[in-house]
Amino acid sequence: MARTDSDPLTVPVAANSSSDLAEANVDLTAAAGVEEVPPELVAQSMGEYVRAYWRRVRGGDSGVLPVVVGIILVYVAFQIADSKFLGAQNVVNLLEQSSIYMLLAMAEIFALLLGEIDLSTGLVMGLAAVTLAELVQPAGAANCALCPHGLAFPWWVAIIVTLLICMGIGAIQGTLVARFRMPSFIVTLGGLLILEGVSLIVLNGNPVRLGNLQLYDIFWGHFSTLVSWILLAVLVVATGATWWFRDAGRRRRGLVAPPASFTAVKIAAVIVAGVVVVLLCNENRAHFGVIEGVPYLIPIVFAVLFAWTVLLQRTRFGRYVYAIGGNPEAARRAGVSLASVRTWCFVLAALTAGIAGILFASWQVFLTTNIIKSANSYVLLAVAAAVIGGTSLFGGRGKTIHGVLGGIVIGGIYNGLYLLGVQSEWVDVGIALVLLAAGTIDVLSRGGGRPGTT
Amino acid sequence: MTLTQGKLEPGTSGEPAPDVDLTAAAGVVEVPPEILAQSLGEYFRGWWQKLKSGDSGMLPVLVAMVIVAVVFELITPENAFLRPGNLVYIFGLSSVYMVLSMGEIVVLLLGELDLSIGAVALMGGVIAYKLVQQPSPNFPWWAAIAVSLLCCGLIGAIQGTLVARVKIPAFVVTLGGFLFFTGMIVIILGGADTSLGLDPTVPNQAVLYNLVQGNLDVVVSWVGAGVVVVVLGAMTWLGAAARRRSGLVAPPASLAAIRIGLMAAAAVAVLAICTVNRGGVFATIEGLPWVIPVVLGILGFWTVLLQRTRFGRYVYAIGGNPEAARRAGVNLAGIRTWCFVLSAATAGFAGILLGSFYYGQYSSNVGDPGQLVLYSVAAAVIGGTSLFGGRGKPIHGVLGGLLIGGIAYGVSLMNLGTLSIPLEYILPGAVLLLAVFVDVTSRRGARTGKDAARV
Repeated sequence: MARTDSDPLTVPVAANSSSDLAEANVDLTAAAGVEEVPPELVAQSMGEYVRAYWRRVRGGDSGVLPVVVGIILVYVAFQIADSKFLGAQNVVNLLEQSSIYMLLAMAEIFALLLGEIDLSTGLVMGLAAVTLAELVQPAGAANCALCPHGLAFPWWVAIIVTLLICMGIGAIQGTLVARFRMPSFIVTLGGLLILEGVSLIVLNGNPVRLGNLQLYDIFWGHFSTLVSWILLAVLVVATGATWWFRDAGRRRRGLVAPPASFTAVKIAAVIVAGVVVVLLCNENRAHFGVIEGVPYLIPIVFAVLFAWTVLLQRTRFGRYVYAIGGNPEAARRAGVSLASVRTWCFVLAALTAGIAGILFASWQVFLTTNIIKSANSYVLLAVAAAVIGGTSLFGGRGKTIHGVLGGIVIGGIYNGLYLLGVQSEWVDVGIALVLLAAGTIDVLSRGGGRPGTT
Repeated sequence: MTLTQGKLEPGTSGEPAPDVDLTAAAGVVEVPPEILAQSLGEYFRGWWQKLKSGDSGMLPVLVAMVIVAVVFELITPENAFLRPGNLVYIFGLSSVYMVLSMGEIVVLLLGELDLSIGAVALMGGVIAYKLVQQPSPNFPWWAAIAVSLLCCGLIGAIQGTLVARVKIPAFVVTLGGFLFFTGMIVIILGGADTSLGLDPTVPNQAVLYNLVQGNLDVVVSWVGAGVVVVVLGAMTWLGAAARRRSGLVAPPASLAAIRIGLMAAAAVAVLAICTVNRGGVFATIEGLPWVIPVVLGILGFWTVLLQRTRFGRYVYAIGGNPEAARRAGVNLAGIRTWCFVLSAATAGFAGILLGSFYYGQYSSNVGDPGQLVLYSVAAAVIGGTSLFGGRGKPIHGVLGGLLIGGIAYGVSLMNLGTLSIPLEYILPGAVLLLAVFVDVTSRRGARTGKDAARV
């Protein structure tokens, strides 16, 4: 069938907002069927904004509201149960534990947005971890399987090579899904089995120690307290200025922009959240000696979140991803190359899982066959985190931030229940209940039932 | 899309009439060539046409099994793969995947997915093992199995209701179920380090112990197999004769004879293998293992239920096209819920088999619930069941499970050192990808149902 060009689909949703999409060669608003005009673009005053938001929530698009309410409930409950929960020591601990879930969930969201699933992210992480550890083994290290003399790569070369390998895995899986139209569930299920085997081969049965200070610091290192504050200031000024001047620019050019008061509130919220996090991280959290400052992994997670948010929300590629997830046939007729967008999504998912793998290696330090097995158990929790965060399993609905929020919920439950001395088996039960609650809220907020009959 | 509709001849509508004609709704219920064919040659031509049109059915998995058997026989040290003892062991190893996979297939037929099936299986095993412990509760073995299957059925009912009535996606519900019951197993077991054992010298516990480990007496094996072959053969023959007498389309008599012959030959082959003494010099281990009739019994139950009853037709109809099934008056929610119930109960039985395979020892380590699920889905898909609903048979799970078990055991026989464990993961993964790759490429243009609508 010949591809039709874009003209039938250029039906702007609202006259003003169409200019927002002016640079797109194809207007996909209709094709995607899921891109709402955010109320902050249409509202002209704070009151109007809040009313518009409330309408949207009642209309079934609750966005991140349920998960934010969920986070507050979970955290308040744990804080009441144990006052150490939100103490400096535990908060940093909690963020460290959550970071893996966050990154894997962000990886998973690329597949979920397409309406596909990637079961292999956990083992891409596992393979990345063992590969990284093997690559930096010093010359003469005897326990390295594929490289008996030890490659002794510099740490940054090892990271690049590891991430490239992960992207290659993603490209293979993506090609099988996108070009051969094999079901992603099967491709990534087969992929995870193969990757588990390959990881074991790389490890060669011998535990490997990540004997590299720079790599160790990725997870365990932290900025000094002063640098922490400076970084926060830079971050706040940069975001604040970006938001403020963008909105001011829009207003000047006569485009729809959120009310200035709302922008100010958003910036204030960032400042408050940032100050609270930095204050907690800058408190001494060591039992003996002094450990204080913001851990490196927080900016790492933020950088990934920022990059993927920009990619998905502000670029043509991102719009295509949502379009395919919303209605692949419509996207195809609008001229989107389904195969290459899908392949790239799997590449990016594997890349993100590889970043998680680098943190994972740095976290575990000592990599054994059991670590590989436990890496696999993260997959389903990563999907759970994405769904809890508000991403749909049916494609086209979801944001990178959902992975971070869902990861905070799962990390919080794990951390809180352990803090209370609850056995690990109850932790699974707790997460299951939260997941079911998220699924129910999702269904109820959409007025019951999925599109179609299934 | 309805490659079968054109072939429907007036005669077939005289089949025991379903209250609703679902052939069109399902879009996937093929008229088997043996019903239309009037002679043996016609039958094979019909079968070949079906094959060429992309519906390869079980052929790929059968070919793969032959290849695996031959290759491992050639490359294992001392050509040990096809020794009777090993073959029986492989069947025991595979039995868990087979039964679990049959449970998964019912849900796959709906176009849904059940991720909780591994955890539910372990629940079933733990409950049954807990109930036969002495001195209390010391349930009789049949009551323990019944209670365990009922509990699993209840779990299925809850999950099925959430999927079918509350309409939460099955993936989310069963992912939640997977996590929930993974935790509950350890809680019911009484701690992660606890293990439940069976004492084979206690007659009541020995029944559960023997499900995989036990063997029938050699004479009983032969007599039992003889009775089964005669009964099934008579049913095949008389069924075809009755159809012919009442003027319905029936398979040619020669085909029925060939089928009965094949059945008898298979039974003799299995028994000949199983009645060889595989215990070595010091002990005599011989006879048909219990697990073979057990698995065949479950296969028979599922095959009859799915292929011969109204319930089964509805399941295929929903999987093929839920909207059409709904309009034809099928109670979607009821059928879907029941599928989850029966699937979970089947899984529970697989869990009981798992304990017996590990010599009656049950702990939280006997099976990884996630691994069990993935292997059961892999077995179903390798066997030829579609992930998109409406296409698949219980026998696919049995064949796929046997193939996975055969590969896993064959690799472990090969003294590969550190490569042995990795290959136990890599080979099933590669077979899975290859099976679906062949399926997808051969089916281009001949896909039906939701499968065809994929862009």
